[in-house]
Amino acid sequence: MGGKVSCTLGEVKNRADFIVYWGGNPAECHPRHFTKYTLTQKGKFIPNGRKDRTMVLVDIRETPSAKAADIFLQVRPSKDFEVITTLRALIKGQPVARDMVAETGLTLDQLQDLAERMKRARFGVLFFGMGLSMTRGKHMNSAAILTLAAELNAFTKFVAMPMRGHGNVTGGDVIMRWTTGYPFGVNLARGYPRFNPGEFSTVDLLIRGDCDAALIVGADPGATMPQPAIDHLARIPTIVLDPKLTHTSRLARVHITTAVTGISAPGTVYRMDEIPLPLRPALKSPYPTDEEVLRRIHMAVAARSRPAPPVVWPGPVAV
Amino acid sequence: MELTVVKNATCTFCGCVCDDIELHADHRRIVHTKAACVLGASWFKNHTAERLYPEALIDGREATVDEAVEAAAHYLHDAALPLVYGLSNITCEAQREAISLAELIGGVVDSHTSL
Ligand code: SF4
Repeated sequence: MGGKVSCTLGEVKNRADFIVYWGGNPAECHPRHFTKYTLTQKGKFIPNGRKDRTMVLVDIRETPSAKAADIFLQVRPSKDFEVITTLRALIKGQPVARDMVAETGLTLDQLQDLAERMKRARFGVLFFGMGLSMTRGKHMNSAAILTLAAELNAFTKFVAMPMRGHGNVTGGDVIMRWTTGYPFGVNLARGYPRFNPGEFSTVDLLIRGDCDAALIVGADPGATMPQPAIDHLARIPTIVLDPKLTHTSRLARVHITTAVTGISAPGTVYRMDEIPLPLRPALKSPYPTDEEVLRRIHMAVAARSRPAPPVVWPGPVAV
Repeated sequence: MELTVVKNATCTFCGCVCDDIELHADHRRIVHTKAACVLGASWFKNHTAERLYPEALIDGREATVDEAVEAAAHYLHDAALPLVYGLSNITCEAQREAISLAELIGGVVDSHTSL
């Protein structure tokens, strides 16, 4: 997500007076987000903590997070893109037809009020969750909300941040970007990176049957992917590295048990705001770490690859 | 039994990655957590240092890590378009190794983000 208008959670804590959660339920999925970073903490420029902040929740249903919100806006499912686009228009003072807004489940007055509040904020944040990025519109929704945040900067300071889920998914994006230039779905078959979501993304590759072996590490696609994708994983040689015997392990040719990240495996993990943090494991695992096993597989593959024949220059050609 | 205390431990259960957790552990399991939320506390307590699973399996049969590493290398080396997928619940250092392996075997590397 290069180019996105964002910040760290420390800045949110110290500066943000207007916080919007869109399509996420932090009270249940990120339980300490409110208390550690966004709502209740006092910050350098937020001397009174919660009293100095306004929190808005936008979602398709009233989740437990709504209790923490000052304003709850219930949008009709799959209408997020329309709402964001309307907000972008309202912020710029463009006319919006009342009946066009009605289909979103919200009223023009509600959106007008939100647009005004966003413009009046000193430092606003849009946190968006999977309810926005994984429903109809998908990455178009994410792009729209990032654009909304960027455009609000014509009036005040505004940023956006995705509410990433567990483990080190953020680190995955960052490390891929740093090593290959792209955040996911990178094809290295030609010796240089090529990026094309829809072509090189895992579900598509598996459903089309394009790949003929799979190494699964730190995920369990056998439990989460569509059935045709799982069927292909069972057809080809699949190798799993995981601390547990997963659904994928059961259909794999090879499973290697590894130490649990953060509990018995040391290393670095990225927070959702792309801040890297060191792990401090409390236990010693009887199993090797993923890092170690991957390095050993790397060495074993390298030992199999015969060195390329030396290139001999035949000398200048007489003309 | 003497407990080891780890201060400022890092929880990776959700994207908050809280790094202010205190853990009390014996050599087998984490018995007490401070500052973690319910999700984090149960995550810390649910994993132990016990040997609950075989170290490796090849075609469903128990094997050594050495054998499994060789088998994995064989399959990945022979494949025309191998896929390296996941990278969610592993460290950045392991992610870097996975990408480097994908480059060596000429494969596709992809994460949860593509879903
Ligand atoms: S302690 Fe709770 S909020 Fe913090 S990272 Fe763990 S699960 Fe998330």
